[in-house]
Amino acid sequence: MSWHLSHAQLHRYATHTADDVTAMSAEAHLTYCTHCRDRLPTDEAWLERSWADLRDIVDRPRLSPLERLLGTLGLREGTAKLLAATPTLYRAWLVATMIVLAATLALAHEIPRGTLLFSFTVPVVPLAGVALAYGPGVDPAHSLASVTPWAGPRLLLLRTCAVLVPALTLCTVAALLMPSVATVHEAVFWLLPALAMVAACLALSRWLHLSVAGAAVGGGWLLLLATFALLEGTDPFQLFSPLAQAAWATALALLATVVALRMRTA
Amino acid sequence: MTTTTSPTALTNGVRARGLVRTYGTRRALDGIDLDLGPGVTGLLGRNGAGKTTLLRCLATDLEPTDGGLSVLGLDPERSIERTEIRRRLGYLPQNSSFYPHFTAFGLLDYMAVLKEQGGRRQRHEEIRRALRRVDLYDRRHTRIRRLSGGMRQRLGLAAALLGDPRLLLLDEPTIGLDPEQRIRFRDLVSELAVHSTVLLSTHQIEDVAALCRRVLVLDRGRVIFDGAPTDLIARARGRVWEQASRPPEGVTAWRLADGRYRVLGPEEGDAPDTVERVPLEPSLEDAYLLLTGSVTR
Repeated sequence: MSWHLSHAQLHRYATHTADDVTAMSAEAHLTYCTHCRDRLPTDEAWLERSWADLRDIVDRPRLSPLERLLGTLGLREGTAKLLAATPTLYRAWLVATMIVLAATLALAHEIPRGTLLFSFTVPVVPLAGVALAYGPGVDPAHSLASVTPWAGPRLLLLRTCAVLVPALTLCTVAALLMPSVATVHEAVFWLLPALAMVAACLALSRWLHLSVAGAAVGGGWLLLLATFALLEGTDPFQLFSPLAQAAWATALALLATVVALRMRTA
Repeated sequence: MTTTTSPTALTNGVRARGLVRTYGTRRALDGIDLDLGPGVTGLLGRNGAGKTTLLRCLATDLEPTDGGLSVLGLDPERSIERTEIRRRLGYLPQNSSFYPHFTAFGLLDYMAVLKEQGGRRQRHEEIRRALRRVDLYDRRHTRIRRLSGGMRQRLGLAAALLGDPRLLLLDEPTIGLDPEQRIRFRDLVSELAVHSTVLLSTHQIEDVAALCRRVLVLDRGRVIFDGAPTDLIARARGRVWEQASRPPEGVTAWRLADGRYRVLGPEEGDAPDTVERVPLEPSLEDAYLLLTGSVTR
């Protein structure tokens, strides 16, 4: 090597104050001149940051399809990560839900009282999804997660919202395919009972495990159905009448208040 | 929880007064008084003695039925303070399980989000640090279902270490670890205990002997010994010996490889003097067994 960069040239190159021609010339020289490269002042902090960035890119775990979807919908990365661990958002759960809805829908078209079966199954779908979204026995990592700052009502409500979105969507689509249902308004006859039962489940989870609370509320729903089916002069479909819808709305409002109060005091 | 005693705060440890936890009519914890500060404390006791229940109460996972409890100077009954405790807590539960389809890194990332650990880059740096500490960095992208039992145990430990916890509660942490990993674990816990309070529940008495300056022995929900391991050993002096013949029924003993019997028995002077006996220096295990009377022949 017959020549080397001067101290001033190296300094201007390192501080990005050299003109374009000098910078390109210096860069070309530095690629093969070890002597000048060794004299180039190094920004240690910048170097460390760059390595940290590189390590982060290499080590970053690949996002699951659900995390990517939630990110696309605008959710923060951390929130998407918490939601992606929800057991009832797994593919298996969604597939099972679709099979149940498809089977009851087929029966609604095929057998005389099939509509009744569908109408009473649909409100239970969101309830089951929420009841199995959080807690020991259903969440594999619950014992680790239960003593973190996010544990308890905060994580439960987050997962409830995450479960309700696909569950309510699937149920609405299925209801639209029912015989005698023509409009979206007619297709959401089950919505208020479903939401009231979810709220009841969340309220009961203050004292019971969430899955037990879900089973208790589901049992109550069956009891109500049996009562209306067996009592003389009543019909199970009365549970979806305008008067009953008003009662469900009132129950939902009360139970939602209980849940909100629990959130404030938990 | 009905607070009958309000314990003065111990800002870097745990203080419990008259701690009670019942399951139905069974009292799993029966009036525990406890002060824990920085350092490693061993927690010994038979199955069902109340060790896990105590750890879960301290970890804010279980609400005590009665008594007073202060963790890191905070009251776990108050929501805001409980959350603050959880930010500074590391807890490795017994038989912890994970999402099998997550990678080791992915699980720790999930746990770090639950622990409210900073931005992504800072969180990932912390995860790498935890993985290196438990020697799992090379397995960071392996799915948990492909990890061995010992590796999963180390992964649980890494999760507990996230966020540099001030209080570390470890329930049977060395189950499934090979001897080399156990040595590494002891080294790690000793290092952590310089600034943190560590409570180590275990059946591995050699871990307690190697790590702890203090040992608590629980029996039926009560503390039956609280002191230095050397003090516990001192209680057993003169009560451990070796002999050639099988001791009579009712005396705790086991057959050794050379055909002789190691006997844990009553005070030397009170023991039946019918055979030749060679007195032995008791181990911590001998002392623990004599205290709890939990050996079967």
